Amino acid sequence: MSLVQRNAWTLGLLVLFVVLLGVTRAIQPGFGVSGLESLARAALPFAFATAAMAVVVIVGGIDLSVASMMAVCSVTAAVLMQSMGGVPAILITLAVGTAMGLVNGALIVLTRVPDIVVTLAMLFVWQGTALLILASPGGTATDWMRSAITGSVIVDGLPKALVLVALVVAVVWVPVKRSKLGLAIYATGSDETAAYRSGVAVGRTRTLAYGIAGLFSACGGLGLLALTGVGEPVPGPYLLAAVASVVLGGVILGGGIGGLLGPIIAVFILRIIRTILTLAAVDPNVTTIVEGTIMVGVVMFGAVLVLRSRGAGP
Amino acid sequence: MNRRLMMGAAAAALTVAMTPAAMAQEGYVIGVSNTVQGNGWREEMICAMRAQALVEEDVASLIVAHRNTDSAGQLEDLNNLIEAGVDAIVLNPSNPDALNSALEAAMEAGIVVVAVDAGVTAEGAYILSNNQEEYAYLGAKWLFEQIGGSGDVVYMRGIAGVSADTDRDNGFKRALAEYPDVTVVHEVFTGWQQDQGKQQMFDFLATGIPFDGVWTSGIDNVIVDAFVESGAPLVPIVGADNAGFVEDLLTVEGLQGAAVTNPGSVGGAGIALAVDILNGNPPDSTTVLVDPVLWENATDAGRAMIEAAQNPNLDPEWPVSVTIPGWTDYSMEQIIACDGPA
Repeated sequence: MSLVQRNAWTLGLLVLFVVLLGVTRAIQPGFGVSGLESLARAALPFAFATAAMAVVVIVGGIDLSVASMMAVCSVTAAVLMQSMGGVPAILITLAVGTAMGLVNGALIVLTRVPDIVVTLAMLFVWQGTALLILASPGGTATDWMRSAITGSVIVDGLPKALVLVALVVAVVWVPVKRSKLGLAIYATGSDETAAYRSGVAVGRTRTLAYGIAGLFSACGGLGLLALTGVGEPVPGPYLLAAVASVVLGGVILGGGIGGLLGPIIAVFILRIIRTILTLAAVDPNVTTIVEGTIMVGVVMFGAVLVLRSRGAGP
Repeated sequence: MNRRLMMGAAAAALTVAMTPAAMAQEGYVIGVSNTVQGNGWREEMICAMRAQALVEEDVASLIVAHRNTDSAGQLEDLNNLIEAGVDAIVLNPSNPDALNSALEAAMEAGIVVVAVDAGVTAEGAYILSNNQEEYAYLGAKWLFEQIGGSGDVVYMRGIAGVSADTDRDNGFKRALAEYPDVTVVHEVFTGWQQDQGKQQMFDFLATGIPFDGVWTSGIDNVIVDAFVESGAPLVPIVGADNAGFVEDLLTVEGLQGAAVTNPGSVGGAGIALAVDILNGNPPDSTTVLVDPVLWENATDAGRAMIEAAQNPNLDPEWPVSVTIPGWTDYSMEQIIACDGPA
């Protein structure tokens, strides 16, 4: 398979995104650098939530506690930053996020209760934890966090927020994917029994995958804090949005297939659809219907293409 | 050649179809941002905004971003409204501090920012909200008058620490100071929960401690229910203009009471204020308070007022006060229709 064939879905999403950018320009000719920057900022928490979700879906699980973990991390960092510098607070928050993810994974592996049940329960546990840390929105963010995601870098129109997402995801995911752990994650997701019989430490692999999801959730929580400047204990709408982006991004629910690039492009597609609907002044009660319809349409259209290409093959 | 022509025509048609109607017309484009959907008070606010925009001659169109989301989502909506090139943004802020980056960017771009219902800390933003201190003062004063200036009252508050509750407490205390012979015999926090407030009233009625009146922070019709269900003699009750309580004021035999308005239609006032500012008539202060109105059923005039406010077509979840005298210009039919301009 050629590079293009292997990444056909991701490339298709990229084309769709560019088309939607064109539509945005057509509706609002003034949409330019600042529009791209706002778009990237809006996508920031969604992108990290989606990366977290993608990793656990690839390993064959699902994590319903992603948004709650983001809330815990956002309030943890917001409270810590009242008494210490930004860097140690961020490092502690990343550690807290990873630890929460590892707890999720360990519980699933040790209790053998299905992922969806454990993480549903943990959704409530982490949600309560966030409220214990901060009962109402508060805390503070270091000044440079806001400037780190505001504006462009290198050239105008290359938003800092986008570069940040790309860097963080690459630094965490690329080494993992190329290592034995990455192979084990995909193998476990494809067929757990086969992976086990081939000598993959399945339990350890799943736990670590959930740990990586926790780390990305922490990044998402920090992204929220950077955006708003306050820690919010009540989880935002990131869980279902992350599942949607993962599916739209070409990761197969069930595991073993897909990457992180597709889902992150899908995040940008869903965000720009929201922008287009706002610019076109569509009735707000209709926008969610449109968003859902487009999502289902794209996934179905993609499935038809995949089936056709398989039918045409040998 | 032919194909190229057709594509050109299609592109042109697409552009025309997608261009907001506002661009062709003269007038202001106003953006609205709200983060709670499906709540009666907030829905009334949105419909008031639409109805007011419809009757304001200078408003060409309204772009409404109205969904359930968090502060980060509201930031996204605000930034999209800025991109849409609106002249003013009227928002119900999810948090006083979290939205400053977008609000400052908006004001830098020359967009007028009006926060309704709750405040924002961004410098230069206008804040328009219901006067909660006056809300409590008005109702408490009526109650103390009603019981003859002396007696014992039950004081049923909202949620401790919430700014609206703190403001209302100040107003209640101000009225109390004016009537030294009135004492608070029992003070509770209902949490603004119907069932909790009702149980608290049952519990207090069961103690047998006599009292002469009840002031509630909007958990009102269930208090009437508690009296009726336990067979206790009714005392004067003060509540908010929730549909259930207002109906009680007209239908419950022997009930003397007053409803103080806490209108969701403050959203319509926000649109009116934004237009005033755009037209070069800003208010003296960046914080504008809308004073509540009291509807009582003890006099014929009061009863007539309540009857006029009733409308069977009104959503039962909405506050009954759908207009704000001096601020909103639409009719009751227009707010119920909930149609904006264009």
